[in-house]
Formats: sequence, structure tokens, C-alpha cells
Amino acid sequence: MSTVATPARQASGGINTKLVNRIVIYGLLALFALFYLMPLFVMLVTSFKTMDEIQNGNMLALPKAPTFDPWLKAWGETCVGLTCAGIKGYFWNSIKMVVPAVLISTMLGALNGYVLTKWRFRGATLVFGLMLFACFIPFQSVLLPMATILGSVGRFGVTLQNSVGTSFGLGNSTVNLVFVHVVYGIGFTTLFFRNYYEAFPTELIKAAQVDGASFFQIFRRIMLPNSMPIFVVTVIYQFTNIWNDFLFASAYAGTGDAMPMTVALNNVVNTSTGVVEYNVNMAAAMIAALPTLIVYVVAGRYFVRGLMAGAVKG
Amino acid sequence: MAFLEIDGLKKRFGNVEILKGIDVELEKGGFLVLVGPSGCGKSTLLNTIAGLEQITEGEIRVDGRAINDLHPSKRDIAMVFQSYALYPNMTVAGNISFGMEMRGVPAGERQKAIDKVAKVLQIGHLLQRKPSQLSGGQRQRVAMGRALVRDPKLFLFDEPLSNLDAKLRVDMRIEIKRLHATTGTTIVYVTHDQIEAMTLATKIAVMRDGEVQQFGTPAEIYNNPANLFVADFMGSPAMNLIPATIATSGNALSVVLQREAREPITLPMANAPAGLSAFQGKPIIFGVRPEALTDPEGAERNASNIATADLHIEVVEPAGSDTFAVTNLGGKGVVARLRADANIQPGTSTPLAFNLTKAVFFDPATENRIR
Repeated sequence: MSTVATPARQASGGINTKLVNRIVIYGLLALFALFYLMPLFVMLVTSFKTMDEIQNGNMLALPKAPTFDPWLKAWGETCVGLTCAGIKGYFWNSIKMVVPAVLISTMLGALNGYVLTKWRFRGATLVFGLMLFACFIPFQSVLLPMATILGSVGRFGVTLQNSVGTSFGLGNSTVNLVFVHVVYGIGFTTLFFRNYYEAFPTELIKAAQVDGASFFQIFRRIMLPNSMPIFVVTVIYQFTNIWNDFLFASAYAGTGDAMPMTVALNNVVNTSTGVVEYNVNMAAAMIAALPTLIVYVVAGRYFVRGLMAGAVKG
Repeated sequence: MAFLEIDGLKKRFGNVEILKGIDVELEKGGFLVLVGPSGCGKSTLLNTIAGLEQITEGEIRVDGRAINDLHPSKRDIAMVFQSYALYPNMTVAGNISFGMEMRGVPAGERQKAIDKVAKVLQIGHLLQRKPSQLSGGQRQRVAMGRALVRDPKLFLFDEPLSNLDAKLRVDMRIEIKRLHATTGTTIVYVTHDQIEAMTLATKIAVMRDGEVQQFGTPAEIYNNPANLFVADFMGSPAMNLIPATIATSGNALSVVLQREAREPITLPMANAPAGLSAFQGKPIIFGVRPEALTDPEGAERNASNIATADLHIEVVEPAGSDTFAVTNLGGKGVVARLRADANIQPGTSTPLAFNLTKAVFFDPATENRIR
């Protein structure tokens, strides 16, 4: 009997310890989650309150009479610097900058990853190492050199404008930002795609070569359709980074028509005239944060694993 | 002139020579198997024929035309890969017709070709599925279909059966053989499995360390191995390679085999190869296949040179179709192959017959055959 009883006692003791562990773990997790979500909650409730309620009420209280007015005002009327037409223009500025920057940097990263793994050349590892190094360069150190380069490019654009009649977008602040983000993003996107393609079966490329597919046909027909998971990861990463970037945006498009959302938001909040409209500020901040959230929600659904199942032996 | 000719092919990666001068040729409709242990260069050789690896020296000709500088797609070859390499994003039909699509074959013709191949391989019901929805054997068929649909001059198979389980492997082996017989295509096939090599090939090239050890028909390779490596590698169970010495009795040579705790066995050689007389009193390796060492009743009746000796049986392995008996000669375990119903007990002494017409001899220093 004793041989049976001993493990049973240990088991019941084990269950108790397990339960305590669970409670501690989940308790801590809940606490941290609460701590993390609190600012979001305050932002959200504040954006639906009137100014009276904000000035006289509790910060954590739910709005007594929820109103969309602060959102509408933030979108269409609030003052950014001296112009009072809301943040909608700057929102589209950001979209116009982010979408090409994300797509170009992702495609270049995919192409780099493809070449670095499937068309290895002498020094491929060194090239990859240098690109990896680009990931570790702090933003601040490229600010001034990049400004010089963009200045030269802008002057060249003016020359083109005078001689040919079009600057081909050279010197345009949005184009400048796209260029900066693409250059800065290639290191990361290459890293993502190279590591993904490293595990991609090389026999598929050989088979496609025997089938007569060219370099780009293999890329388009074989590599890209099987890259969905890493594609989504890269797009989420790049979109979030570029959308949220403030440093480059304020340095190269801090004034004028091409000003992106992040800089505009800062100008809304830092405005020195009149009362500080917390509800409008919060609504503007929420609008600024929405696209990244949407990208997570939408793209996350395509974050499907196991697309490669069945390619090789199973 | 042979259909496939490989002339003095060398392949170097930096200073490392992977293929050290390969000379092989194959007639039209032949089935060449490249066999050898892993790392012997057989897959590299196949890749150079396919054009997936560049060669350093030499020439590869198909049907009289040098192909070694052509792009893989221009060589008129088709290849079946070890992992099948099916495109996971395409259906079976898409996989089979991808090559035609790349060559700009019109859709109608593509469909006809797909249907024809699907009929031959009986995969018609799978055409709209993705590779991930197929079993291993079905994937294998699709991979073969992708090769067949091109109707190429040369088929290349890179260990196509090594990912299948044992039973399916035998089935697919027979299927490949049947396919070869009915279509009459020329095939180069890489494997490390010597049974696949024996059963499929019309010609075998046994490779080691980037060199062809022996090139010949399966029967030549099996019965007349050129050296110790080929003798040991081909055949299952492997050939018994027993250290022995050569003695002279009268004017005939005889082989002396050491036995444990008993006087040595002397086997008189009636038809010793000419080269053997130079080894009188010297050590040699005596090679005899398990089926040439059997019970006297089961020995080949018309063999001209049979010698019988009493041997101490250590282990008996009944395998169903045969019974294998293990004895000890020259300090090595020696396997004899007996009839299934042979009455033999471990721990006893039994007379066994050596079929010396099938025996081969090797020089232990050079490992080459003594002829």
C-alpha cells in the first residue's frame, strides 16, 4: 500500500504548489496588464468628455455624456501651429509617406534575402554582416549627414526643374522621408527575409531553374507566394516604426505641407494659445495611434504558420 | 557513340577536388545508377549533369552535343529531387505544367500534356490539390510527373526513394523500373542503396571520394568487383572478406584460412587466377559471397570447383527465405547462406561448401583485385 500512497501524497502537494504558482503568475500578469492599459483607458475616456467634465471630474471616471465632438474637432478644426484645419491633412501626409516606404523597403529586403541565401556570391556573408550593422546605427548619428545629402539632392531637383521642367520628386519632403526610411529599413527587412529564406528549401529553386524560370520569375512565382508569414511580420514592423517615427519626420519635414502625423500631433499638444483642450489632444493622439493598431489586427489574421507544409518531405 | 558521355570531369571547390576526373558513358535508353557512400560526390556529379553546379574541367555530352556550358533549362533534362521540391503554392497541375508555362507553351497544349502524364501515373484525381494535401507516395508521383511531362532527353533522379518508408520504396522502385521499360527513356539515378542500384540499373558506377571505383553492368559489379571497396559495398549481406594466405601443394595453389582453436582449412584452387601465383606464402584477402558458402546439398550442382570444410557455427539467423549461419574464419565473422529449411544448430560443427569458382582475391596492400 505504501508504494501507492507515497506518490498520491506527493501529487496532492504538487497540485497545491501548482495552484499557488498559478495565482501568483496570473495575479502579477493582471497587475502589469492593468498598469499598461491605464494610460490608454484615460486617453480613451478623456477623448469622449467635455472640457467642463475634465476640469471638474475624476480622471478615471467614465464620461457622463459621451460626445464625439473632440474627435471631430481634432480631425477637422484643431490648430496645428498657425493653420486651424485639423490633423486630417497630416494624417494623409503620413499615409502617403508610410505606404511607399513600407512597400519599397519590404520588397528590397525580400530581394536581398533571396540573393543572399539562394544566389550566394563571394562575400555574401560580409555584405549581410554590413547590412546587419545598419540595424545598430543610432538614428541620431545619421541626422546631419543625411540632411546634407537631402540638401544636395534637393538642389539637384531644383536644377532639374529649371532645365527639364520636372524635379522627379527630388527635394520633395515626402519623397525625402520615404528615401530615409527605406535606407534605414533595408537592414531590418533584409535580416528578416534572409533568416526566413535561409530555411527555405534550395531544391525548390533548383527545380525552378531546371523548369526554365528566370531569376525574377523564381522570386515572383516561388519565393514571394511562400513568404506570407515573414512578409506580414516585416510589414507590421516597418509600418509601426515608420508611422511612429518622430526624429526623422521633425528633422526633414518638421515644417510645411509634408509634415507627418507625429510632428503635427506634437504641435497640437504644444500649442501655446488659449486653454489646453485635453479631450481634443487625446482624440488626436488616438487617431495617430489607430493605423498601427489596425495593421496589427488586419495583418495579424494573415499571420498563418505552416504555409510551407508539403513543400518537402512530410 | 554513346548517348550520354562524361569525359574527364573534374570539380573543385577552392582547393578541394570533389570530382577527380570522371569518365562514364551510357547508351540511349540506358539506366545509369551512381552509387556510393555519402560524400562520395555522386549527387555533385548529378548536379553537374543538370547544370546546377559548374564543372572545373572536362566535358558532358548528350546525344553528341556538349551541354556543360548551357543553362539547366536549355539542357533538355528533367530532374526528380530527393525532397520532391514541389512548389507548395501551386496545385499538382500547376506544379506539373510550370516548366511548360515558363517555356511559353499555350494553355491548351499544357492541359493535354498534364492529362497524359496524369493518366500514366494515375494521379488524375489529385490534379487540383496542393502538395501539402498529398501523401509521401503521391508527392513522389507528382515529382515524377513533373519530370515526365517535359519528355526530355535525359532524366535525372536524386535519391528519389530515400524519403519513403520501406514498403512504399519497394513499390515505387518497381514502378520506376516499369516506367523505364515502357517509356524507354535514358535515366541517371543517384542512390546510396546498393539494392536499388542492382535492381534498377543497366549500368552502375560505384563511387568513392570523387572517383569511379568501378563502372559496369550490375552482374559485372556483383560478380567481378574491381577492388575491396566495391566488393564490400555491393551486395547484402556483404561479401565475406577473409584474411588468408596462399600455399602451394604440388603445382596447384591453395588458400589457407585460420580457424579459432583448430587447425587451418586448406582449400585447393583448381582455377586460380594467374596473378595469384605471385602471392605464394603471402597474405591476401579471400572474398566469397554468402551464397557461395552454403550447405553441401544446396551448393550449385554444375560449379566446377567446390571445396567442403567443417566449420564451427556460432550464430544461426533464420530470415524466412534463407537461413544465415555465422562462423569465424581468419579472425572475422563469416556469413554463410543456407536453404531456409537447412538443419543447422548453433554451437555445432557442420560441413559447408565453398563455391570457389565464385571466389575472388584481393591484395591487402593495394586493395585491388588479383586477377
